[in-house]
Amino acid sequence: MSKFSFRGGIHPLHDTHEGKDLTRNKPVRAYASKIVTIPMDMHIGAPSNPIVKKGEQVLLGQVIAEAVGGIGIPVHASVSGTVTDVSAKIMMRKVPSMCITIENNGLDEWIPLNPLGSVESADSTKIIQAIKAAGICGMGGACFPTHIKMSPPPDKQVDIIILNGAECETYLTADFRLMLEQPQKVVDGLRIAMRAMNVKRGLIGIEDNKPEAIDAIKKAAAGRDDIEVCTLKTKYPQGGEKQLIKALINKEVPAGGLPADAGAVVLNVATAAAIRDAVVEGMPLINRITTVTGKVKEPDNLLLPIGTLVNEAVEACGGYSQEPGKIFFGGSMTGICAPNEEASVTKANNGLVVFNEKEAIIPPEDNCIRCSRCIYACPVYLNPYAMKKAFDMDKMDVLENKLNVKECILCGACSYICPSHQYLTPAFKDAKDIIAARRVSK
Amino acid sequence: MKLHVSTGPHVLTREVTQTLMLDVLIALAPTTVAGVYLFGLRAAWVICVSVIAAMISEYVWQKLMKQKASIKDLSAIVTGLILGLNLPSGVPLWMAALASAIAIILVKQLFGGIGNNFMNPAMFGRAFLLASWPARMTSFFLPERLLGNSQAAFGVDMISGATPLVPQKLGITLDIPLSDLLLGNIPGSIGEVCKIAILIGLVYMLVVKVISWHIPVFFVGSVALLSWLLGNDPLIAILSGGVLFGAVFMATDYATNPMQKIGHIIFGIGCGTMVVVIRKWGNYPEGVTYAILFMNCLTPLIDRLSSRRVYGMVKNHV
Repeated sequence: MSKFSFRGGIHPLHDTHEGKDLTRNKPVRAYASKIVTIPMDMHIGAPSNPIVKKGEQVLLGQVIAEAVGGIGIPVHASVSGTVTDVSAKIMMRKVPSMCITIENNGLDEWIPLNPLGSVESADSTKIIQAIKAAGICGMGGACFPTHIKMSPPPDKQVDIIILNGAECETYLTADFRLMLEQPQKVVDGLRIAMRAMNVKRGLIGIEDNKPEAIDAIKKAAAGRDDIEVCTLKTKYPQGGEKQLIKALINKEVPAGGLPADAGAVVLNVATAAAIRDAVVEGMPLINRITTVTGKVKEPDNLLLPIGTLVNEAVEACGGYSQEPGKIFFGGSMTGICAPNEEASVTKANNGLVVFNEKEAIIPPEDNCIRCSRCIYACPVYLNPYAMKKAFDMDKMDVLENKLNVKECILCGACSYICPSHQYLTPAFKDAKDIIAARRVSK
Repeated sequence: MKLHVSTGPHVLTREVTQTLMLDVLIALAPTTVAGVYLFGLRAAWVICVSVIAAMISEYVWQKLMKQKASIKDLSAIVTGLILGLNLPSGVPLWMAALASAIAIILVKQLFGGIGNNFMNPAMFGRAFLLASWPARMTSFFLPERLLGNSQAAFGVDMISGATPLVPQKLGITLDIPLSDLLLGNIPGSIGEVCKIAILIGLVYMLVVKVISWHIPVFFVGSVALLSWLLGNDPLIAILSGGVLFGAVFMATDYATNPMQKIGHIIFGIGCGTMVVVIRKWGNYPEGVTYAILFMNCLTPLIDRLSSRRVYGMVKNHV
């Protein structure tokens, strides 16, 4: 059988099965956090506005912050208990984030839930509103509000919804376990999304290193002509939105455009499951599966309330097995480093990886030997070699206008493959930030 | 607890400059062994001197200039070995040492060390000797183990002779069996004669993905095609001189060839064309050295002009 793939890319940690062996066979385990600190700016868009005060009692699923602006989404209490703090804290960003801290009373008292209906019966005109009300945003890592993604501009014709089950990132097995244990939820979520957007075709792309998940999803989608399960080649970044679209429907998202320009909307499998829960159960997005792995005693796939602190998540896995040197949310290619143990799990965090001191150290740059590996690896066909030279010479105009640095998806493939450890991806991230800041100041 | 904070990726490939150079050395091993076998101990001395001279030059230069020692990346050994394999076995040892020192100091270190040189150091070292002592550089010892028909072709008593390209240039056709061309039973530089050994090295480098096939194939292919168009035997053209060694081990030098695939193709065709042009119309019977050096100089231009379409863009700017 032919496998879907894209041009470029790499095979990170190939000899250790992408680092996934640590948690591959660990069933998802729900964990009740004692305390949660929920940032208001988890999603892309304006931060939500807290509507609870210190000392207030909240129930599970209760709205604790309202959506602000058109792109905003509400935030819900992920545990029942007492609000102990509403204040700005340094979390994952350089600037402090407004956070609501709730102490769990262990009673698991829910607010009354108002489901929209079953997969077939739910009023399709109300689905997108229900998704917004449930506070759902892209759970693959980007955290872009899902109701916006599902409401493309009227001039764009979307005729396919793609579910991203590639999970190409190293170490992560959260999506794998979800597809394996709750395949029906994923397929139902896709069907609901298809109904809401009036789309007649759905694809689910899964990498071939997850054959059990492919089987499970195929079974769950059996008998449905409108849903196709596609086996993807295991290659990073197969789960990048642009790469997935290229691989599955052989179309390219135009530069500066949206997937909708290629006629597609891409949702993560976890997002699809959350959509199903929101519509069929009326449940807001208050927890997510997170792979806690690396140098912890018992690496595991945990169902964590949103806002669980790093130290509690690690504690739930038996504590550190070695002195930690680096802790990051996500996989080891694009993971974002936690500045301290008080950072918390957000809606986007599919993984929490602990590295020891030795693993944490990035070796210094050597001379570039012009081996071309970065060029072959780039999944958007850029020239990382020339881009780095331009960056080192501070030629931002060249980077922006000639080398198209804004098309860089910051996947890290070039940095990973570089035999002289050039800091390619960090340079391009800086360049993109600098160029964006210049545009704002103009 | 102090945690490191950095932008991803947080893992890196284990393949570093040193391992790549080691792979090149492994690929050169069959050629080295064959060269020493064919030309005897004398060849071993030439190779040893050029390798050691390259290492010492790099080490001493970096010490004097207070630079970080890069001897561990093995690139000086690769340069020295390729240079040694490019010399005739009868060359005076001091010439081998001098060429190595020039390759490392003048071509590599003065331009900023590994990766920054614009010409292939070993190639330049050889060109320097060729321009300075042309007679010594073009009188080749016959392989000590020369056997069979070639002996008749070159004369039994000869201890040194020209490569098969010289008679070809003079319009004389030599009847050398294909097996002798492949095994290296012909006069030539230490490393260039045994084509089988070079091909083993090529296969190794392709399998471990140190190089891609584009440059060797387009280089050798264009030499064969153009030689054939000019009325020469394409097999003799690619198997008698340094084309194969140059195409596999020197034109593929990362630092001095283009970065993009299309650039590799242009570079390979350019090298092959220059070889044939020099052989046909130049003063030298062989043109691999100058062809590669010439294309090295064009590499920045090729890089500038070659571009590829970026994902999602209709047309890419140059």
